[in-house]
Amino acid sequence: MEKPTLVVEGKRLDGRAFDQLRPIKMKAHVINAADGSAYVEWGDNKVLVGVYGPKECLPRHMANPYKAIVKCRYSMAPFSVLEERIRTGPSRRSTELSMVIRQVFEHTMFLEAYPETEIDIFIDILQAGGGTRCAGITAASIALADAGIPMRDLICAVSAGKIDGQIAVDLSKDEDNYGEADVPVAIAPRNKDILLFQMDGLLTRDEIEHMLDLAYSASSVINRMQVDALKEAYSGERTEAVLPL
Amino acid sequence: MVNIVVPGELVSEKPIQMPYAFVENGKTYAAVISLLDDRGGLIPLQGPYDPAPEDLVVGVISDIKSSGYSVDIHSPTPAFLSSKDTRDRFNVGDTVMAPVKSVDEIKHVTLGGGRALGGGHLIFVPAVKIPRVIGKKNSMVDMIEKAAGCKICVGRNGYIWLGKGGNVTLAMKVIEKIIREAHVPGLTDRIDKMLKVI
Repeated sequence: MEKPTLVVEGKRLDGRAFDQLRPIKMKAHVINAADGSAYVEWGDNKVLVGVYGPKECLPRHMANPYKAIVKCRYSMAPFSVLEERIRTGPSRRSTELSMVIRQVFEHTMFLEAYPETEIDIFIDILQAGGGTRCAGITAASIALADAGIPMRDLICAVSAGKIDGQIAVDLSKDEDNYGEADVPVAIAPRNKDILLFQMDGLLTRDEIEHMLDLAYSASSVINRMQVDALKEAYSGERTEAVLPL
Repeated sequence: MVNIVVPGELVSEKPIQMPYAFVENGKTYAAVISLLDDRGGLIPLQGPYDPAPEDLVVGVISDIKSSGYSVDIHSPTPAFLSSKDTRDRFNVGDTVMAPVKSVDEIKHVTLGGGRALGGGHLIFVPAVKIPRVIGKKNSMVDMIEKAAGCKICVGRNGYIWLGKGGNVTLAMKVIEKIIREAHVPGLTDRIDKMLKVI
């Protein structure tokens, strides 16, 4: 397919400005059986996250007597993309994403509080529209907070990159596929720590600095939404059932 | 208005060592989603059971070992009840009530002196809500016991055992209401009113 024009009259394909995010909706505590859960709609992305644990670590030989281990599974639903259906099960891509997302949260949680246990994070992409790993990390962070697991911060992630020579934040699928560079960044909003930084494409040092500025200001917006989603789920009555055994 | 804090949110400008919070660069931040009370303390809204010595817990025997029993107390790490510490003999699936004797450095729990709870119903509620089910000096449990007419054993870990006889449905309904409205002030009065209407 021919490369589409990504910037028309100073606006992007979907009419956004370069520093503008797609519409985002977040909801915490959506699965009753999970210890923590979240659902995020981010542009065309639809992401559901369930968190289980801390619980007994299985297989036992993987348990660490000093801290909890984190298991993360990122997976895309077969029906999540427009093109050819994705085969179910792990792929090279999803294995890598599971690993980088796991590492983001290993540096965020107080794992020493739960020795010899495991914490499971299941990230399911129901619909993909570019930037699923960022939406996944953002949702997983809400789900972990909802599970009551001690953390240093609510991590949020956003992608940034270069499209038709312009630096822009929150790339959509087409901008990601046909743009010059795509950089997903995960940020701890409190102390501006960067927990994930991947780069697909080429950028100069100045461009990266500009891009990071955009990502930082976007992250504060996303963080506020995460906080609001959590506070909304916990204020007022909760529909938690008492589970008969 | 109750003040909910999320992980990473500033709790105090001063460094204060307290549960569910952490200190960084001389300031205190929340580590767990919780309520900030008037005195600046944190009441967690969610989270697993954190075992502490002398807690009274309710559990289910999950395995029989050569020297005792494995007990499921719904904590992230297992609990063990030595046969030396109890005169009773248990089978897998029996419900027991026992105090926590010790918790070691990897949070494995040893129970002391288990007592069997025969028959009845076992329900599970989030462990962080248990203080509200118990109430001040057992006031809430006593109130439910009196109204429903059944024996109730509340474990700190979140398991609640409801004895045979009496109005178990009512007790479960009241507990469900407590869990739902645990963080809304004036709970005892509302429960009192609810039980009087019935």
